[in-house]
Amino acid sequence: MRNFLGKSVAIGAIAALALTACGSGRDEESGSSGGDAKGFAANSLIGVALPAKTSENWVLAGDLFSNGLKEAGFTSDVQYAGASTTVADQQAQITAMVTKGAKVIVIGATDAAQLSTQVAAAHQAGVKVIAYDRLITNSPDLDYYVAFDNFKVGQLQGQALLDGMKAKKPNGPYNIELFSGSPDDNNAGVFFNGAMDVLKPEIDKGNVVVGSKQVDVKQTAIQGWKAEGAQARMDQLLTSTYGSKELDGVLSPNDTLGRAIITSIKGANKPIPVVTGQDSEVESVKSIIAGEQYMTINKDTRTLVKQTITMVKSLQAGENPEVNDTKSYNNGSKVVETYLLPPVAVTKANAAEAYANDPKLAPLTK
Amino acid sequence: MSRIKDLQKNLFGGTTSNARQFGMIFTLVAIVVLFQILTDGLTLRSDNLIALFQQNSYILILAIGMLMVIVAGHIDLSVGSVAAIAGILVAKSMADWSLPWPAAIVFGLVIGAVIGAWQGFWVAYVGVPAFIVTLAGMLLFRGGNQFIGNANTIPVPEGFRVIGSGFLPEVGPNTGYNNMTLLLGLAACAAVVWRELQSRRTRRQMDADAAPMWISILRLAVMIGVIVFASLRFASGRVGTSFPVSGIILVALVLAYSFYTRNTAGGRHIYAVGGNSRAAELSGVKLKRVNFFVMMNMSVLAALAGMIFVARSAASGPQDGNGWELDAIAAVFIGGAAVAGGIGTISGSIVGGLVMAVLNNGLQLMGVGTDRVQIIKGLVLLLAVAIDVYNKSQGRFSVIGSLTRPFRRDGSGPPTASPKVGGDAAPVKVAG
Repeated sequence: MRNFLGKSVAIGAIAALALTACGSGRDEESGSSGGDAKGFAANSLIGVALPAKTSENWVLAGDLFSNGLKEAGFTSDVQYAGASTTVADQQAQITAMVTKGAKVIVIGATDAAQLSTQVAAAHQAGVKVIAYDRLITNSPDLDYYVAFDNFKVGQLQGQALLDGMKAKKPNGPYNIELFSGSPDDNNAGVFFNGAMDVLKPEIDKGNVVVGSKQVDVKQTAIQGWKAEGAQARMDQLLTSTYGSKELDGVLSPNDTLGRAIITSIKGANKPIPVVTGQDSEVESVKSIIAGEQYMTINKDTRTLVKQTITMVKSLQAGENPEVNDTKSYNNGSKVVETYLLPPVAVTKANAAEAYANDPKLAPLTK
Repeated sequence: MSRIKDLQKNLFGGTTSNARQFGMIFTLVAIVVLFQILTDGLTLRSDNLIALFQQNSYILILAIGMLMVIVAGHIDLSVGSVAAIAGILVAKSMADWSLPWPAAIVFGLVIGAVIGAWQGFWVAYVGVPAFIVTLAGMLLFRGGNQFIGNANTIPVPEGFRVIGSGFLPEVGPNTGYNNMTLLLGLAACAAVVWRELQSRRTRRQMDADAAPMWISILRLAVMIGVIVFASLRFASGRVGTSFPVSGIILVALVLAYSFYTRNTAGGRHIYAVGGNSRAAELSGVKLKRVNFFVMMNMSVLAALAGMIFVARSAASGPQDGNGWELDAIAAVFIGGAAVAGGIGTISGSIVGGLVMAVLNNGLQLMGVGTDRVQIIKGLVLLLAVAIDVYNKSQGRFSVIGSLTRPFRRDGSGPPTASPKVGGDAAPVKVAG
């Protein structure tokens, strides 16, 4: 009798499953990007897939998305990749969002080259995909990209370097050294080219001299954006080139490297030159206020998230979201329509103003 | 005798050691039903089922090899790193030396074999514990991956991606379903029926009591029901999608390895070594060869899993393979393998892997964050094994085990230390 009972339970369960299967063939309509001018319901699900919670920036972005999307009337699903299996997690999360019927998925990619399969699946299901901050590469199905203008970041760094040196010493020629970011990071080259766009004419004129003559991006690169890499390279430059010469300025692509460069120079007992940076890290803002690092770049996560939500709202209304760059961002498969936000250069002079809205940084500038 | 017993058991199995495996099938069904309700029917929707298989096929492939390693009394911590180094080498071979992709797959398997031979050598012939050898391998091959790849992400060509993100092609008339998947389901049904008939005939020939007709029919009805359900689901995905290629690779491997571990001398030797290596050696089992084989086989499967992941991700990246060993080991233990070795089945491990996969997927569909998902998965792993350990220490079977006891009535002989456990077609059945 118990035999019969056991089997009945099993069969019952399986029959229940089988019942739910019946009745449907494949859904032929499936949206496939035909909905350009239609929009979708105002309370639709919007998926946001972000990298692991390794930096404050992403945690902040996640909170801003949750609140911002809710305020705008959407249902939001904000997910972070797990700490150890980031890429696989993010792939599964994006797929789950498509299954749940998200209308727009915003992706801050953990690895920008490993998501094209999921983006393709989303596209086929009629979901719009916005790459947030990091351009998803090798995907013909990516719809939009929203980020800060990284070329502009480089230009601002280059300009600040020139301004800073001029303020200290009215007449050139100025001795400078160049640093760039990790060679495997797409953005690193963009920052460097932006800076060289400003510096190159001055170098050609002889106004600015790169003491070590290392001007190629390959020579200046710091693998993995590692602080110790920048410190070691700066140590070597100081011994090889600046035994007696004076160093007036260093182009550093971000704050971490900038502080490492300053550490190296302090270690060699040299006067601190004009050093650039980027990211508005807490330590660097302190350093700027203390008069060591010269400048950093403020790329406010709040404005970036706000802009992304604006794009989602346009999609909801059935309009084409506003973009301001339709030619520079080629992801290897197509040129992606992009909205670029302007970064802001911050020096000691405008720090209080620039960080006025930032609850973490504002107190540091007082 | 054991063959008959196996056939008798092929619905849910029935030996003592099988209780947990049956329990896991039951748990899997329960979890699927639970999430089916909680997610308003998203869990069993065809696109989700397809995604579920695509996302987890590489972990389940690892679980096959890991089961054999664990049954033999070892462990392999290096699978994630081996998968990563095979992935980056294969991606590089196509990008830099423009190797055609079929050759690149062979190349990847060869890498797996070479690495496996290296680890097998230390384990089997030098006698270093597998835990240490593969811990070293984990560091060694992870470092190798970073060294070779320079922490870069290297894309792979379209053709190669088929093994990770491809589907059965659309052929034949428009039936509203993917015809190839339907054919596959039909073939599976036919195989099940054939097997059942075969078993009844064998029993008659041996003058044994054939199982009552209604049991056979019931068993067939359940299995065919599940197969039909699954193939209809997989066939009714969005046009262009169907049963994934990676799923087919997985099913083929499950069938082949189940046959190997259950029905061949080589496969039984693995259980013998894991159960009692001294006794096995004295009975003529070539201990070193068995140990060498399981370690080498694991690395080959790890390389395959790595390639499937790379194909699905369309690129090989520096983070590939992180934490995979833990997923594979968890699947094997949830699926009823014994930590001391000697006990466990391929199908059990696949069911264990699917329990974790459905749990993961269902929680994600509900929008639960990865932090909480990890907590829940950890608790499930602990509970699954703890319940089994507790029941054993109490000298009784689980509730589910006692429910299934009547199944065993005409299995000959006491079901004592026999490590053999049945039900090889289970993963395919339950997938629906």
